Amino acid sequence: MNAVSLQEYLVVSALLFCLGLLGVIVRRNILVIYMSLELMLNAANLALAAFSRFNNNLNGQVLVFFIIAVAASEVAVGLALIVALYRRRQTTHVEDLATLRL
Amino acid sequence: MNLSLLTLELGVIGLALALLLIDLWTPPALTGRLGLAAAIGLLLILALSWNMSGGPPVVGCGGMFARDGLALFFKRLFLAVGVLVVLMGVEYRERLALGFGEFNVILLIALAGMMFAASANDFVLLFVAMELMSVSFYVLVSFQRSRLPSLEAGVKYLILSALAAAFLVFGIALIFGVGNTTNFAALNAEGVRLAQDKLYWLGLLMVLLGLAFKIAAFPLQMWAPDVYQGAPTPVTALLAIGSKAAGFVLLLRVLFVAAPVLAAHWSKLLMLASAVTILYGNLCAIPQRNLKRLLGYSSIANAGYLLLGVAAVNASGAAAVLYYLAGYLFTLAAAFLVICVVMRDNEDIGALAGLSRRSPLLAGALALAMVSLAGVPPLAGFLGKFLLFRALIERGAAESPESFRSYWLAGVAVIGVVISLYYYFAVIRVMYWAKDPPDLSPIIVPARVQIPLAVCLVAMIYLGVMPGAVLAGATEAVKALKF
Repeated sequence: MNAVSLQEYLVVSALLFCLGLLGVIVRRNILVIYMSLELMLNAANLALAAFSRFNNNLNGQVLVFFIIAVAASEVAVGLALIVALYRRRQTTHVEDLATLRL
Repeated sequence: MNLSLLTLELGVIGLALALLLIDLWTPPALTGRLGLAAAIGLLLILALSWNMSGGPPVVGCGGMFARDGLALFFKRLFLAVGVLVVLMGVEYRERLALGFGEFNVILLIALAGMMFAASANDFVLLFVAMELMSVSFYVLVSFQRSRLPSLEAGVKYLILSALAAAFLVFGIALIFGVGNTTNFAALNAEGVRLAQDKLYWLGLLMVLLGLAFKIAAFPLQMWAPDVYQGAPTPVTALLAIGSKAAGFVLLLRVLFVAAPVLAAHWSKLLMLASAVTILYGNLCAIPQRNLKRLLGYSSIANAGYLLLGVAAVNASGAAAVLYYLAGYLFTLAAAFLVICVVMRDNEDIGALAGLSRRSPLLAGALALAMVSLAGVPPLAGFLGKFLLFRALIERGAAESPESFRSYWLAGVAVIGVVISLYYYFAVIRVMYWAKDPPDLSPIIVPARVQIPLAVCLVAMIYLGVMPGAVLAGATEAVKALKF
């Protein structure tokens, strides 16, 4: 029945999470960092859906819907914020965010 | 679904929606009244909360929502912060460029998020409540769209908060995978079995990382100074008090309701985080010249002190955390009220020069707040620190005699307090003994600032001199937790 085992789903999910984290740390463009963050959230979604399937417990999938909804609202606000910053500074690079220093 | 459980939260959300509608028909000149109306509404809800006290703990809404002493204690705390911050917002109104009506509404929504967090009895509600807070704060922090520091602070908060949320969600996924439930009580019932699974440990650790962001504790503390400096002052106050308190109530619930079996094992880890947080916050605060940034580092140090009470893993530690947060509320609210009035465009500490002659009331209030933060008796900050230290020593006495861990940590915390005396008293020195202050024009303090300021000062002294009532309330509240 199950060609793909729970372990394999979890490994993929952990890989996605680490890739996202790597992107947040390494990349310097705010938009790309933001995409990487979404990747991390979706890694968690994949893990939840897999656990939900293998534990026969639908609560996990319900939680996935919550996460998708919250992530969507976060993106709406976040992109608006990045656009507002771009209008002021004409840049989306983190190095240029240096007004707030000692 | 028992809606009467949610009376306070529904009240705050209803107030927010009503303000949003009324704002449509309010001429711009009168929007200040809306802020006052919001403050009065919150006061009414606060009064209503005493009507709900007593009675056994109730768990409703599918086991997600707990109404117990702990939840009620924190809800009162949040409502009190809400009143003070809304009044601060009225004072700050002209500097917000536009959208003062929406500012109040989003502030109230963030407050509702904190109140839901106080009652969280399930990881789903924990996540949703935290995100309700976070998303509201993204908007609030960057509310001054024409001011670059505000936007920059907003983007920094956005990225780091989303990162913390990602850790939190992945942690919840692992916990759900191992425990097959997200309910705190159900997880606790199977605690011993779950504790054998390392995946469960990893999941909880990631959840704690997510919470460390909210309370601005090591290793996710670096956002605090930048965001505190850039955000509008009322928002900084809400972040410093409300968001931190919400983080702590969630931390207490996760550690001592969902996983008391693991909490004892993690005492060492929490102690380490606490020691690093205290030293980092206090040492980095020394060279700061911007008062809001200084308070950002001071807030990191205070998160460290509060973690002492959590790391003690006993009832007196948790009660001390609650008491400390109550004192911290009024102390910081007084400081931020003064900043709101005095520092209109220059937030450098030097701008306070001669404040004692410009307005003795404001100078006295800020001086008292700094003295209380530094932990000098007889103010609230002193007794709070004393209670936290005592809980830690109790923990040390209960441990095996060879282990001096708790005493070492108490020593580090005392060193932190001594360091903090330096920068807190530097602020007082500038106000009272600065040479040749450039500006000596008197500051007129409006009544809408005088009254909350007086309340804060009275509460600060009252909590320090007569801690009995609040401490008894805190001790009663932590009975919801297991150690």
